Amino acid sequence: MAVIAPPKTYFDFRKAVTKNKLVGLWRMMPDYRLSYAAANLSLGISALAKMTTYLLLRNFADTILGTTQPFAGTLTRTLILIAAGFVVLALFEGGFAFLSGRLAAYSAEGITRRFRNFLYDHIQRLSFAYHSKTPTGDLIERVTSDMDAVRGFFNEQAIGVGRIIALFVINFLAILDLSWKLALASIAVVPVILVVSLWFFKKVTKAYEAYQEQEAILSTTLQENLTGVRVVKAFARQDYEKEKFEKDNLEKFLRGRKFIRMHSLFWPLSDLACGFQMLVGFVFAAYLAIHGEISVGTYPAYVGLVVWLIWPMRNLGRLVVQTSTGLVSYERLMEIVRQEREPLSDGKIQPEGPVDGQIIFENVSFQYEDGNNEVLKDISFSCQPGQAIALLGSTGSGKTSLVNLLPRFHDYTDGHILLDGVELKDYSREYLRRQIGIVEQEPFLFSRSIGENIMYGVDRHVPQEEIEKAARAAAVHDVICSFPDGYNTLVGEKGVTLSGGQKQRVAVARTLLKNPRILILDDSTSSVDTETEAEIRTALDGLMKNRTTFIIAHRIQSVMNADLILVMDKGAIIQMGRHADLVAQKGMYRQIYNIQTRIDEELETEIASVN
Amino acid sequence: MADELIEIEEEEYTSQLTGPTFARIAALVKPHWRWMAGFLTAIVVTAALDAFFTYINKLIIDNGIVPGNFNLVLKYAVYYGGIQLVQSGLVFTFIYLVGILGERIQYDLRKSTFNHLQDLSLSYYSQNAVGRLMARVTSDSGRVSNLMTWGLLDVTWAIVNVLTSTIFMLIINWKLGLIVFSIIPILVIIAVNFRKKILTEFRKSRRNNSKITGEYNQNFQGVRVVKALGREEENLREFSILTDNMFRASYRAAWLSALFLPTVQIISAFALGAIVWYGGLQSQYGAFTVGSINAFVSYLTFMIWPIQDLARVYAEMQHSIASAERIFKLIDTPPEVQDRPEALSADTIRGEIEFEHVDFYYEDRKPILTDFSLKVKPGETIALVGPTGGGKTTIVNLLCRFYEPKNGIIRINGHDYTDYTMQSLQSRVGIVLQTPHLFSGMILENIRYGRLDASDSDVEQAAKVAGAHEFIASFEKGYAQDVGEGGNLLSVGQKQLISLARAVLAKPEIFIMDEATSSVDTLTEALIQRGMEALMQGRTSFIIAHRLSTIRRADRIVVIEAGGIAEMGTHAELLRQRGHYYRLYTQQFKFEKERAYGVSMPGVVPVIK
Repeated sequence: MAVIAPPKTYFDFRKAVTKNKLVGLWRMMPDYRLSYAAANLSLGISALAKMTTYLLLRNFADTILGTTQPFAGTLTRTLILIAAGFVVLALFEGGFAFLSGRLAAYSAEGITRRFRNFLYDHIQRLSFAYHSKTPTGDLIERVTSDMDAVRGFFNEQAIGVGRIIALFVINFLAILDLSWKLALASIAVVPVILVVSLWFFKKVTKAYEAYQEQEAILSTTLQENLTGVRVVKAFARQDYEKEKFEKDNLEKFLRGRKFIRMHSLFWPLSDLACGFQMLVGFVFAAYLAIHGEISVGTYPAYVGLVVWLIWPMRNLGRLVVQTSTGLVSYERLMEIVRQEREPLSDGKIQPEGPVDGQIIFENVSFQYEDGNNEVLKDISFSCQPGQAIALLGSTGSGKTSLVNLLPRFHDYTDGHILLDGVELKDYSREYLRRQIGIVEQEPFLFSRSIGENIMYGVDRHVPQEEIEKAARAAAVHDVICSFPDGYNTLVGEKGVTLSGGQKQRVAVARTLLKNPRILILDDSTSSVDTETEAEIRTALDGLMKNRTTFIIAHRIQSVMNADLILVMDKGAIIQMGRHADLVAQKGMYRQIYNIQTRIDEELETEIASVN
Repeated sequence: MADELIEIEEEEYTSQLTGPTFARIAALVKPHWRWMAGFLTAIVVTAALDAFFTYINKLIIDNGIVPGNFNLVLKYAVYYGGIQLVQSGLVFTFIYLVGILGERIQYDLRKSTFNHLQDLSLSYYSQNAVGRLMARVTSDSGRVSNLMTWGLLDVTWAIVNVLTSTIFMLIINWKLGLIVFSIIPILVIIAVNFRKKILTEFRKSRRNNSKITGEYNQNFQGVRVVKALGREEENLREFSILTDNMFRASYRAAWLSALFLPTVQIISAFALGAIVWYGGLQSQYGAFTVGSINAFVSYLTFMIWPIQDLARVYAEMQHSIASAERIFKLIDTPPEVQDRPEALSADTIRGEIEFEHVDFYYEDRKPILTDFSLKVKPGETIALVGPTGGGKTTIVNLLCRFYEPKNGIIRINGHDYTDYTMQSLQSRVGIVLQTPHLFSGMILENIRYGRLDASDSDVEQAAKVAGAHEFIASFEKGYAQDVGEGGNLLSVGQKQLISLARAVLAKPEIFIMDEATSSVDTLTEALIQRGMEALMQGRTSFIIAHRLSTIRRADRIVVIEAGGIAEMGTHAELLRQRGHYYRLYTQQFKFEKERAYGVSMPGVVPVIK
């Protein structure tokens, strides 16, 4: 569409938030209003050309019957002009119909593209709290099916309703011009058809939903049967499964039948209503023509026009019902749009270079917005740049919540955290997260190539050598090279499945490349064999060098070398110090440590007992 | 997501209609031939009557209005109304018949594909992704049924409509009629090509759409990483490329669709112009009436619709035929494991079990078991241990006769087990899988799966034995509690307990368990152990074991490695050997102890797999 400057592919839909749904939809359209208006205008021109065709037909009929003088002098010339007129009008009608369709699609697809882009971006910027309480499936449902419904509104319903109304108005006016009596006689049944079609489509939509619901149930039964084939066979339950499927299958057939029955009544009955309305018009028009109130040529023109007055009305009901589902979907999407984003760049200070990594916790407490008890209580400790801090404690003791405060995934509710002597909340989240690297226990990898996963965290071009260097340091290079496609091997559903240890090492490489000043490590090396464990340990040691590191530890071995060990229980620090100090103290740490030695002794005894 | 991709990929396939395929598709309709004959008759008459409406209008103009005979107009109006009435009846008939027949054929196809899938062996399932199998039963069945019902209806309507219109045009003026008739093929060819292009673009946009969904999905799931790495802007940039592609494909599909009708209309407008000009001239010599010219205009105008329908059905037909061929291929696949013709029903399988020089492979030249021999006494408990991929699961699969040995024999009670019917073997085996599989529905139904005629109190009894009763009773609805899709409303431990109860209820003669590696809390763990013990009591049992307690309790431990027995003996014997078992055992010992003492935290997978 050269006439209009290309609209931007991103638009802040938060500007479209409003109470009234239709106003909201209107506000979603900036940059596209012109093309949308042009689409509707083209629609009108196309309908006008169609109408004019029938008026030309009237002139033609009256000319050859001799009731009207040939307008171009001779009959031959007039006929040539009329014939040419039909072709030109068809060009107009078709050309503008196409233009209208094209403009409508352009606007609808354009708006949808922007909406998709916006939602994608918006959702990734929503807070942790939002993500942890919203199931992925629900979000997906909204951004796909609800998005489709909204797209349908712009692409089909809005333009479809416009088309039917344009056809009705223009053709009605034309008939009105032919004879007002005829015009009135032609639309008597229109309101009835409209109401009935609204009622029918509401009903049939429900029946169709029920049908689709059953389809989903059938699909679940089928899927559970196929994935559970070993259970089915192990219990020799083939016949039982067949019966179960038969029940659901039959139900789908029955619901389908119900839905078909409704259609089989609506269409012939509405045919009948439309047909008789037309017949009344025909007889009346013939009567008027015979009595000279209208010309003979008016009759065929009327016959042509009235078709476009009556039949499209049946579809108006469908469009209106679809519009209302479109509005429901719109509302479901706006619920997401209304959510507050995490202010990534808000922060009082914007340091030029990286942080040193000195961290001080002063009486820090934290509780979730909707929670009523403190997850972290009065946490105080400090560490120097480059030190390693190990957190030890059972699940739920608050280790993860504590480290989640550092990149400001959540903000502490009380006390102070000082990073390089500055309050943590004064740094922008964006800046902090650039300074902090995280290696999770079960790291999430994206379904793209291994190489791309490794460079996922940096926004500059990374040469292949650098990627391989990081992979070598993370002790995963050899594993990657063993795949047929090397670094181009896809991860996930369509590619290879990596083991937990391999994933973790890819994540280590990813973090090495990012080169953060502060590191958060979830140490779970126990899930791999001894050899790999040693490799990972080397990789992690390399990673920790010169970085302030927080280790969420699961085993005593991985905390022994830490500069500071925090033993946590129920959100509080119960012991703190270095390994040597803690072993010397009475307390949980020593207990855990002692168990380790006890296990070795027990094993000895057990093996000795069989000899 | 993967399922959707399979569906999209399969939609791309086309196939030409061949004689045998046609015969088989026709055979699907044969049982319902009355319905088909009914809707075809109704649609033929409906299509023919359509042409009458225009002709009546010609008569009204030429015989009624022009000569000024209103009585004749009324007479024609009665005809018109009568035809309208008849036609409405016919419309009702064909929608009803074709719609219900369509549902019926789909129903039949789903039934036969599903039932055949039940009979197919496990090998078929391992070669075909679940998504593909689902597509046979759902989308392929739908497409074939559509072709035979609505597709056939539309084509019939289109052809009869065009033919009757042409006949009327020929009656009115055969020369002009021939001209119109000659442009029809041109229109059809243009229309078909248009449709194919639109379909291609439409598929492109579907593919793009599924990519977008995939990207949404992983971005939401990995949002923690995205935030931690500050990837938001780069992600948006990459996502915009996807939406740009989507925009291009769907925009193109949309405007191609919008171009289609106008093109056909404009072409026919030239014919219209010619008719008006020629007809107008002829009318001066009385060879052409106003009504006739009007009829021509009308016939031409409405000819677009049948042509559009023809093109649509034709473009989609080849995909439907490909669907039909996929369905037939499924139905034609014989089950790999079948009962021998003279197979006997085994009275009991409590006797001795013997693997005799068994070889097995899933794929050629990739042996899983080689010359595997093992003799098991009645009532013995065998623990199978060893690394992943060693062949433990295959041994169990062979024992259940999900597969049969490629070489060698498996004997039960001294008989080759293929002498028995599968039903008699499998109904006497109780199995608990590593990842417990439950079906949507109540707990009660899931346990009863083990023995369908079990009473409610039998089910409760089994749950008590398996140690599942307590947590079930704690639910508000108790045994009527819904387990969710695939049992996802329950924890892994709870699912295991229910599948144990299911096996208890089955009163098997052989018990097979693939112990779960994922950790559950200590209490549930203890319950599971107790349930297993109850099941092993007095039964020949095969346990793919991971837990020390299970392993120690076994009468015999078989260490499977690289498709054969690496070590075999009792716990004490094997420990003394200081070989494979010793290494596995000490590793697992430390792991379990650390967990038990709370040194290592839960959520970690044990070493022995």
